[in-house]
Amino acid sequence: MKDLQIKYSTFSEKEFLEKFLKDPSSNEWFLMKTEKEIESSAFNWINFSKYNASLTGYLDGKPVAFGTLFLMPYKKLSHQSMFYIVVDKDYRKRGIGSDMLKNLINLAKTYFNLECLICEVFENCPIISLLEKQNFKEFAYQKKYIKDEGKYTSRIMFELWIN
Amino acid sequence: MDKLKIRFTEKEDCDYLKKWLSDKDILKWFPMYNEMEIDDAVRIWIAYSKINASLTALINKKPVGSALLYVQSFEKVKHHALFAIIVDSNYRNKGIGTKLINELIILAKEKFELEFLNLEVYAGNPAKRLYDRLGFTSFGMQKKCLKENDGYLDKIFMQKYL
Repeated sequence: MKDLQIKYSTFSEKEFLEKFLKDPSSNEWFLMKTEKEIESSAFNWINFSKYNASLTGYLDGKPVAFGTLFLMPYKKLSHQSMFYIVVDKDYRKRGIGSDMLKNLINLAKTYFNLECLICEVFENCPIISLLEKQNFKEFAYQKKYIKDEGKYTSRIMFELWIN
Repeated sequence: MDKLKIRFTEKEDCDYLKKWLSDKDILKWFPMYNEMEIDDAVRIWIAYSKINASLTALINKKPVGSALLYVQSFEKVKHHALFAIIVDSNYRNKGIGTKLINELIILAKEKFELEFLNLEVYAGNPAKRLYDRLGFTSFGMQKKCLKENDGYLDKIFMQKYL
């Protein structure tokens, strides 16, 4: 997307991240649900900005998307990273998620020298088509992983080897 | 064999956990690498013991193994949990692992009302045979998940409905 500016995230953007995650159209694809869960998750998430592992997409002068590498705390696992992306609901369907994903892959590859990216998603999550476009491959599928108000959803895990 | 007893893990078991994890033949199957990472893992293990989510096996009152339910904090995933198990390498092949997992399953069902258990095991770990025997089935495998000295281990994801 041509007007999208991508910068390293800063901790002060936490309120935007929190707002995006609280929106039900985002929240249905994430583990956190209660206000308390969302607030503590947003804190952990934006905290990766201190390692320059988080990117913020800006449009119209304000944050509209976050994409973040959740770097592994253990040395033996540090050649890989999980990541999460969220896009403000008012700015969907215009390629922002795809741009965030490509930039995140590039960050992982060139700055962190990672070998592998892992993405864990709920079945039918819209990010799946973006992952497939970037050549991510499924390596695990677990039924009933999510239980939200009595309704079960599967989780799917994807990987991409980049180095 | 002297009588095997299972009780909830206590804070004082931390030195045993640290000792077992520091055994190179055990540590190679865990993601921890150095003393700092081991201390961190032990701290987390003991933290779960405060909500009675961890069991310790004793022989002659001495801890010889432990199994831990990583009880989930998010509402949407509270119906299952990952677990971890460790047995002192001097007390292998005595049924301690089996007993610990069976007791952990009871705890998972009765106290935490879990529907299934998850585990993650690195390929080559002899414990995989135990998990197969206890009815865990694989739902995925991550290639080259763990890296040490330029060698890699694959990780197998398993589950069992309770």
